[in-house]
Amino acid sequence: MPPSTLLSPSELSYLHSSLSLDLPIRPDARSPTTFRPLVAETDLLPTTNGSARLCFADGSEAIVGVKAEVERTIGASSTSSDVFARGEDGDGDTKMQSAEEEMNEERRRLARGKGQDSWIEVTIDMPGFARDDDGVVVFLAQMLQEGLVADEGLRDRLWIGWGWHWRIYVDILLLTTPNSYPLPLLSLTTHLALLATRLPAPISRIDEDPLFNDDWDAAEPLYPPSGSAHASKPPFTLLVISVEDNIFFDPSREELAVADAVCAVTVGTIDAPVSSGKRREGTPKLRLLSLRIIDPPARLAAATSGTEAEDDQGAWRPARGGMKRAVVGKMVKVVLEVGGVGEEVMTGLEGFHDG
Amino acid sequence: MADRRRINPPSGPTITPIFLASPSDPPTQPPHRTRPPHEIRKIFLKTGLTPSASGSAYLELEPSSSPKPTTCVDRSTSALKLTCTVHGPRPLPRSVPFSPHLLLTAHVKFAPFASKHRRGYVRDTSERDLSVHVETALRGLLISERWPKSGVDVVITILEAEDDGPAFTEGGSGGAGDGAGGLSGWGMMSVLSGCMTVASAAIADAGIDCSDLVSGGVAAVVRQPSFPHTQTGASKASPKEIVLDPCPSEHADILAVCVVGYLRSRDQITEIWTRGDMEGLPGEEGSEQSNFEVLLDQAVEAAVSSRLVLDAALKEATEYKLQKMAPALPSSGEKVKGSD
Repeated sequence: MPPSTLLSPSELSYLHSSLSLDLPIRPDARSPTTFRPLVAETDLLPTTNGSARLCFADGSEAIVGVKAEVERTIGASSTSSDVFARGEDGDGDTKMQSAEEEMNEERRRLARGKGQDSWIEVTIDMPGFARDDDGVVVFLAQMLQEGLVADEGLRDRLWIGWGWHWRIYVDILLLTTPNSYPLPLLSLTTHLALLATRLPAPISRIDEDPLFNDDWDAAEPLYPPSGSAHASKPPFTLLVISVEDNIFFDPSREELAVADAVCAVTVGTIDAPVSSGKRREGTPKLRLLSLRIIDPPARLAAATSGTEAEDDQGAWRPARGGMKRAVVGKMVKVVLEVGGVGEEVMTGLEGFHDG
Repeated sequence: MADRRRINPPSGPTITPIFLASPSDPPTQPPHRTRPPHEIRKIFLKTGLTPSASGSAYLELEPSSSPKPTTCVDRSTSALKLTCTVHGPRPLPRSVPFSPHLLLTAHVKFAPFASKHRRGYVRDTSERDLSVHVETALRGLLISERWPKSGVDVVITILEAEDDGPAFTEGGSGGAGDGAGGLSGWGMMSVLSGCMTVASAAIADAGIDCSDLVSGGVAAVVRQPSFPHTQTGASKASPKEIVLDPCPSEHADILAVCVVGYLRSRDQITEIWTRGDMEGLPGEEGSEQSNFEVLLDQAVEAAVSSRLVLDAALKEATEYKLQKMAPALPSSGEKVKGSD
């Protein structure tokens, strides 16, 4: 998948040196943390539980559909004494509304720690990759799934009752041929689709076979919206490149071609009980879910004719070795800090869903 | 279903029966860590064990210490055993387009008998994913422009893998990786660390030009279990701490793991793989470092320790090679110089 740019060695060299300045100059005059504009819509596929379409500035486009199925949990040990002990103290059906809420609360409490990783499935379809076990496709799917399952809150919300759970299929379809690393596109689209995903509200008790409310308006969002008690947001992955000591977000194809190192940073929200007094409204605290170094495309593709004796005045050659520890730390800090890039992206994407 | 004449085995994996101990037996304890938190397991590393490959290495970690020998299936401890062979550099086949570099491909494969769950012969996603990680770690250190139009294959076979946490134990709750049949668990992370170290040794054994050696290191955030019978008056919420080189079967509750591939002489990192929740570490007061950086530094610390073994193993191998070459060399040094 190396994005092949048609830049000559001297053009690459020029680009690399302008990006490694103290005040770096990007080819499109963005600041290091500015993202390119993007177009998105949610809830476009009528037969899914949630869907989204996202179009990046470079023309690449992806559609994600999220489907949910009820499935029997294999090997579920219903500790029946537990069930009945809980079942009896729910007294009185006097107020239907409160009983329902009570049941939901109980379900939430009992579900804690029962979710399994295998209940979430991510598949990716990319044009140009006929085999779905191609290294690139596998890597992308793994990366996205890793972020999703790292969130215990999501896994636990899939638990319906003793012996039953939801299985979530996240199907990602890349519409255009990938002309740079498609990871952020796929991840942001998945984020939007999951944000729009709703699951039918259960009306059965936790020890019964599941039965759901057929009113779609009553369906519960998979990720509780901000403002509710258990608010959380789906994770998303950002691609960050480093050139010398500078870091850049949302790299374009040309910038990727001269990157010294490429990192995929996945962030999610902390859905611990929020001490809402301290934090601003609508800005959940972010946490790092996973981080990986990706091969910079320069090592694979750049046509270098340079010899070793050449010093830095000549044509640019891809850097050997790895990243410095300080640069990695800086990347994580810029993403996670209050008012940082992560928060900006999250509020930006939420705007698409609401609007 | 076309095949109705046979009695088919169950389609999914089956679980070995685990019998409860009779009341007279003392309860078997899960293995727990006896090393100090900052100490990695002992490593055995030897290069040049596969004569047919141009470079090879074998790595083994000492098995985790069990408090007492037990015959319980679930409590059997396993160690990590890896072999790596390097084939090449060799000319690329004609079908491959021109490349000015040495093209590196890594294949990581679990032996079918490597872990408790049987692995098929076809590589599954976690194995492919590991290969991608190993490739990333190794590409940075090869001086690849010295070998144009050639390729090298790094093949790593995992003979014995570590358990992915207490998957079968009753009440083994908590860790994000122990979902039955789920995504690769925490054991994968230390496997990757071993893969990087062994591949680096094998590449050095093959004599391929490198700018440094990469060594793997793992650090984890764990919550220490509070055994009611061993610790008196342990507080309910036991504190989180960072341990180097965690053995998944020794820790009931692993919260986050960080693997690095570290180049010590360049002080650079070619590979990071972090997963999990690293919030709420007991960091030093007033330090600017985030939790992630603390964990990363500890992982690098572990990589530095395994680098010592890597260096020693390569030195040993080089001395052995020199010894073997010594009688073959001509007696006068000048001839050698001239022929060079």
